[in-house]
Amino acid sequence: MIVFTLGLTWTLAVLLSLLDGRKHPVGGIALGGLAAGFAGLLVLGWEVFTNGPVTMVAGGWPPGVGITLRADALGVTFAVLSVGVILIALAYEAVSGIESRTFPALAMFMAAGLTGLFLTGDAFNFYVFFEIAMIAAYALTGYGERARQLRAAFIFAVVNLLGSVLFLIGVGALYHLTGTLDMRMIAERVAAAQPNAALLTAVAIFVAFSLKLGLFPFHYWLPAVYTGVRPSVAAMLSGALANIGSYGLLRFGGELLPQELEMGATALFVLGTTSIIYGALQAVSRRTMTEVLAYSAIGQVGYILIALGIGGPVGFAAAVVYAIINSLNKLLLFLAAGLRGWMVGAAFAVGAFSVAGVPPAAGFLGKLVLFQASLAVESVALVALIFIGGALSFVYSFQIYQRVFWKPQARAYKISPSTARLLVAGVAGLLLFAGAWPEPLLALGQRAAAAVLLGGAP
Amino acid sequence: MILVSALTIAVLFGVGSYLLLQRDLIRVVVGIILVSNAANLFLISAGLSRGQAPIYPLEEGVEVSDPLVQAMTLTAIVIAFGISALLMSLVYRVYTSHLSLNLEDISEAEVREEESIESREVAED
Repeated sequence: MIVFTLGLTWTLAVLLSLLDGRKHPVGGIALGGLAAGFAGLLVLGWEVFTNGPVTMVAGGWPPGVGITLRADALGVTFAVLSVGVILIALAYEAVSGIESRTFPALAMFMAAGLTGLFLTGDAFNFYVFFEIAMIAAYALTGYGERARQLRAAFIFAVVNLLGSVLFLIGVGALYHLTGTLDMRMIAERVAAAQPNAALLTAVAIFVAFSLKLGLFPFHYWLPAVYTGVRPSVAAMLSGALANIGSYGLLRFGGELLPQELEMGATALFVLGTTSIIYGALQAVSRRTMTEVLAYSAIGQVGYILIALGIGGPVGFAAAVVYAIINSLNKLLLFLAAGLRGWMVGAAFAVGAFSVAGVPPAAGFLGKLVLFQASLAVESVALVALIFIGGALSFVYSFQIYQRVFWKPQARAYKISPSTARLLVAGVAGLLLFAGAWPEPLLALGQRAAAAVLLGGAP
Repeated sequence: MILVSALTIAVLFGVGSYLLLQRDLIRVVVGIILVSNAANLFLISAGLSRGQAPIYPLEEGVEVSDPLVQAMTLTAIVIAFGISALLMSLVYRVYTSHLSLNLEDISEAEVREEESIESREVAED
């Protein structure tokens, strides 16, 4: 199933890059292919959750020689989430009319890269898939090809390349310390490595993933990029690509370098807190919708970092649940930002409730698991922080809701295709459903956290 | 040998970072290329070991050098190559739409555009 999904998305991406994406059938092929890949991932996920992790070695080499592909609960969760987000964003773009010939192929390459990096058991292979997804993202950022998008693409590419270089250095250092690239073997051997060198490696990897996530001191590129790009691309960047950051911190921090993560817990709390407060305050003071959403993205990742800092089964489960909900929120809000109409308004309201953590929407669940995690470490400060952060996000999401959807429309907006509006309403429905029936999501988070703690062992 | 490679990597990385902070887009790209080459050298030095070339059949009892780092570096070089091409084409597109390679001109264009968006929003309120 791993090979099926990876092979399918990969082959389709290559084939699609030869075709003109502006034509309707090509968009249809891309959607159908990606949907098949998504279905493959769901089957794989079912297998992983009933029978435990699926491992295979590429090319039929003996284990330890060849590159391992491994699907465990954590990886498969993130893979399903990210490919689902790309699928919805692609569908959104396909019904509103794709404007560039490369768009479907690039979205497919991004899906292939993300599937690969979530399902690999090899640190260097992770880097290669990571670059595939990132390069597709650099090109996608330029989608639209006006001055604004091109500037955004250049900033995005330069800053994230620096992050990639840092990550590559981290991988090289891990290999030097442990003499292996297999993630499970690295996790076993790193405890015996020299502590200072391991700590430096952990810092390099942490900085690399924080850059992807757009965490507070590394956030400077994010507003310029998220406000510059098209809504569907922004949804892909913050809903799918940013998952690399959360997954990477969980995998490399929680599984491969647990001691270093524990040592850096204070730093994680400080950075997470500044991220939450800074992002929320900036978002409150902004006037345009995309800017508010961009700063809100900075604030929201702070919560994931706090959950990571808490650590243990409760903290990691909270991080996974929060990452899932955050990426669905961002998908919904960025897509809704490009549309108008009462159905979109209602969907946006659901998204805003979800960001603020108000009960009917799934965001409440995210805040709840964070509360539980902070109570587990008996920290009053964290509970207060989550409360303040939630209140601030309530302010900025409804400020923007009021400004965009309540005011009489001064200009006649282009009527958005009803399929696009239905799509957005569907995502909102999913968020409400997850909020109303939270058990599956919570169970998912716990299984994924268990996979991190056991180093992927069944 | 270890000291020499460490110094080379440090100098390459330093020069690359310096160029990254320049205002000229071409220099920024060259900076990225230098920094990624520093990372490639770092990968090579992560497995610096003396020995024969690891080509099958191996002689018994003779040490071979580590082939894995070389494979990794080769992959990383290919990726860096692709990325430099992509960045160059991006710079070209930025140049054709702004007619300048200076970051100051480009950020001025950004500010102008933002102001026009702001004033439109305010007019609508």
